Amino acid sequence: MTDRLTSVREIIKTVLPGVDGVLALRSGPGGIVAPYLFSKEHPEELAKLAIWPKEPVPDTLKIILKAHPEAKIAIVCRGCEERGIVEMYKHAQFSLDNVTLIGLQCLQDEAEFCRCAKPYTVHAKTTIGEPIEGVPDSLTDKIAAMSADEKLAFWKQEFEHCIKCYGCRTICPQCFCNICALEDEIWVETGRLPMPNPSMYHMVRAMHMTAKCVACRECEETCPADIPMAVQFRLIARDVKEMFNYEPGAIMEQKPPQLLVLEEGDYARTGLPH
Amino acid sequence: MNEPKIIGFLCNWCSYRGADTAGMARMKYPPNVKIIRVPCSGRISPELVLRTFREGADGVMVLGCHIGDCHYSTGNHRTAKRMPVLKKLLEYTGIDSDRLYINWVSAAEGEKFSTVIKEFTEKISALPPFMETMK
Amino acid sequence: MIEYENVLTTCPYCGTGCAVHLQVLDNKLVGVLPAKNHVISKGGLCIKGWNVHAFVNHPDRLTKPLIRKNGVLEEATWEEALDLVATKLGEIKNESGPDSIAFLSSAKCTNEENFLLSKLARAVIGTNNIDHCARL
Repeated sequence: MTDRLTSVREIIKTVLPGVDGVLALRSGPGGIVAPYLFSKEHPEELAKLAIWPKEPVPDTLKIILKAHPEAKIAIVCRGCEERGIVEMYKHAQFSLDNVTLIGLQCLQDEAEFCRCAKPYTVHAKTTIGEPIEGVPDSLTDKIAAMSADEKLAFWKQEFEHCIKCYGCRTICPQCFCNICALEDEIWVETGRLPMPNPSMYHMVRAMHMTAKCVACRECEETCPADIPMAVQFRLIARDVKEMFNYEPGAIMEQKPPQLLVLEEGDYARTGLPH
Repeated sequence: MNEPKIIGFLCNWCSYRGADTAGMARMKYPPNVKIIRVPCSGRISPELVLRTFREGADGVMVLGCHIGDCHYSTGNHRTAKRMPVLKKLLEYTGIDSDRLYINWVSAAEGEKFSTVIKEFTEKISALPPFMETMK
Repeated sequence: MIEYENVLTTCPYCGTGCAVHLQVLDNKLVGVLPAKNHVISKGGLCIKGWNVHAFVNHPDRLTKPLIRKNGVLEEATWEEALDLVATKLGEIKNESGPDSIAFLSSAKCTNEENFLLSKLARAVIGTNNIDHCARL
């Protein structure tokens, strides 16, 4: 890990003079890591550069670019973060004209931690580390193989622990709606815990993550109740790949299925009657 | 289940008129489906279907125009994209995805309408009430 | 020059004291991030923690002492306000006794501030009527 950290630091040093800032992680008091914009005015901060644990940097990029649309920002991002940035760009959250992606490839234990199928970047021109193969998502496969009754009992028990902190929604790079459906009383009852079964909050969230979830797992990491909701998002992502041949964040020019009219081939794969 | 409660969302321009056609020809079909007319099947969001189940519906039907015939040209494309994913999500949560039925019924297809209602009502009658399974 | 950083602090709302990062862009508070590798909160926050930044610059927030004069709240100085409070508390204590006054403290205060308030209640006013918002 130290070698990677040094490499990232060296690359940031070369990139810094040409940009308004490099968005990466900084280790703060007590070794607590958080996103930070390294600038040429404060080169001494680079000594505190960190690369683990990963943080929700796509959203931070959006905050900065919203306030400074013309700014030239470079960002150190892992595979999932890069996908998050590309998807946000596709949904017109910011422009990538002045953004430089610095791709950080994940290590084996990092990929296993996230059960990640694609722990590498595809768009960044500057990269650190060698891309490794993804790991199978054994948790998702295990839950997918359960019987209907087992699944019902499993998710009922998991969702019962939800305290409605809205953390999964707030930290998700793809959740940028100004008016969130989950805050609408019509869909999600207020003042009721545990949430009644089936949990509207989680199911509506899963539907809204269709063709948007980039499998960054930030939602699961911030959940105080340790609910494995990314499992449902990933199962749906597999269907989206099959039905619409779409993977969020993979191909820059490919428009998301929500924005497109159905082609004949797509329609046949949805399984609907003809 | 003796008397299942089924909600049918019918689009104004095709399937609702198909229901009219069935009615005018006095075709018989079970009375369990409560019909709600919407401008287009594309209006039916996944939240709406989920809430309908939560309110006690044992089955939900979404009937729209055939692909290519939508009054709003691509409204039913939204249905065709969202509803299959919702069916998958129901399956992943352990809910019988057969409880959600999607089909295309044109204004002239009165007979298809009554057949579809009959078959779906029979299927849902064989299942336990939805809220019982949620306990 | 663009300045963005995360300032590590503790959520003021309850006794758990989750670590929270305040997102500061160009010296303005813009949001909140959890502290993922903090040993206690481990990256989790409750709904109140996620919205800690909301009250800081809220338009409804009091920024000056206000005294009600003739039914209308008017801006005052700290001296005026504190003099009024001290006078009134003294009057109430003389008329109705020290136990007619109760003190309610807050989880947002430090231990030291809570100690001072209990000194004020017990030593200055002479009552044991002191409690804490967490008990509500």
